[in-house]
Amino acid sequence: MDRERFDTEALPYLKRLYGTAYRMTGNPADAEDLVQETLLRAFRSFDRFIPGTNLRAWLFTILHHVRTDGLRRAMRAPRTEELAGEGPAVPPPQEALASGGEDLARAIAALPEAFRVAVVLRDVEELSYGEIAQVLQVPLGTVMSRIHRGRALLRAALTGRKP
Amino acid sequence: MSCASDQVTAYVDDVLDPAARAEMEAHLATCTDCREQVAFERELKAGLRALPIPELRPGFEVRLRRSLAAERGRRYAGLLPLAAVLTLLVLWARGAAPFVAWELSLDHAHCFGQDRLPAKVWSSDPLEIAAWFDAQGTRIPPVPSGVAELGLVGARYCPLLDRVAAHLYYAGEERRLSVFVLSGPVRFPDDWTARSRGNHVRFLRSAGMTVALVSDKQEDVEVFRAAFRTTVASRY
Repeated sequence: MDRERFDTEALPYLKRLYGTAYRMTGNPADAEDLVQETLLRAFRSFDRFIPGTNLRAWLFTILHHVRTDGLRRAMRAPRTEELAGEGPAVPPPQEALASGGEDLARAIAALPEAFRVAVVLRDVEELSYGEIAQVLQVPLGTVMSRIHRGRALLRAALTGRKP
Repeated sequence: MSCASDQVTAYVDDVLDPAARAEMEAHLATCTDCREQVAFERELKAGLRALPIPELRPGFEVRLRRSLAAERGRRYAGLLPLAAVLTLLVLWARGAAPFVAWELSLDHAHCFGQDRLPAKVWSSDPLEIAAWFDAQGTRIPPVPSGVAELGLVGARYCPLLDRVAAHLYYAGEERRLSVFVLSGPVRFPDDWTARSRGNHVRFLRSAGMTVALVSDKQEDVEVFRAAFRTTVASRY
């Protein structure tokens, strides 16, 4: 097991993992716990990571596992039925995205997590659809529909337009 | 084409194939709603990327690295019993006659296997050889200058795995014999003899020192042992 390799290759993703963890959990303390557990798990299984393959996607996959394990433990695992529900609790309709980011931050936080994570992985982390499918372990079609639906819900929240 | 908002999303993310993309572009030229969706989704990307993320709290990275170090300690803790067994094995093997015999046989083959013997001092005079070792702080017992067809040719120090030995070379027509004078303990019963890697090895105690004779010919070892005993006896 090569400790130095882990430090030089995996640890540089710390801030990006934390950014996504923060969007998942909504608060810094939980995000830090999530990232810490993710990197410890990654460290334990680093000898199973094949060098030259996609380290970033591998780390985000572990992050997603740790998050869903935690949610499952807390008996709050998101269910498919909920995702297809009425949409998020939204702030009052707003004109645009360019209102200082506060409305957007609120809207993304209010999005059901499955949509929120898909949108963040695509729009912030710029993972490809294929990588997101790997991370979330869902079919490509599901990735496409989650991104589409997530953006539509955000648009509805921010502009008052019906999704 | 009619409006297909999921296709608009796919267009924004550039995952449409060229034909679908061309069709979408033609549609966008005529559809305000879909153009607005494109504009929104593009703006959304920029907006999301610009959203602030709180800084990691001070000390988080230090705590993380500490946890990783502790994790590493746990990984290797599992190997401790194995390391302990290996250490005990090495401690036991060090000084055990079969282990030393194996080391000496290996070194004998190594030195005599070279084109030219790697001696550091060349002489057939036992006193000269003894003086050379003496100058470097090693006392060797009196040795014969030759036995039967074997004659003393030179010597050097040879590093073994667990010690350094004074190595004296005896050679003759098709015959080779090594005399090792060993520092440190070797555990062997009196006049212990062994075969190791095709060589005969015999350990002797002489004037408080451990001497080992190594040769591929058993008779050479036995003849040399007798002569060696005589030499030692005549000096003391």
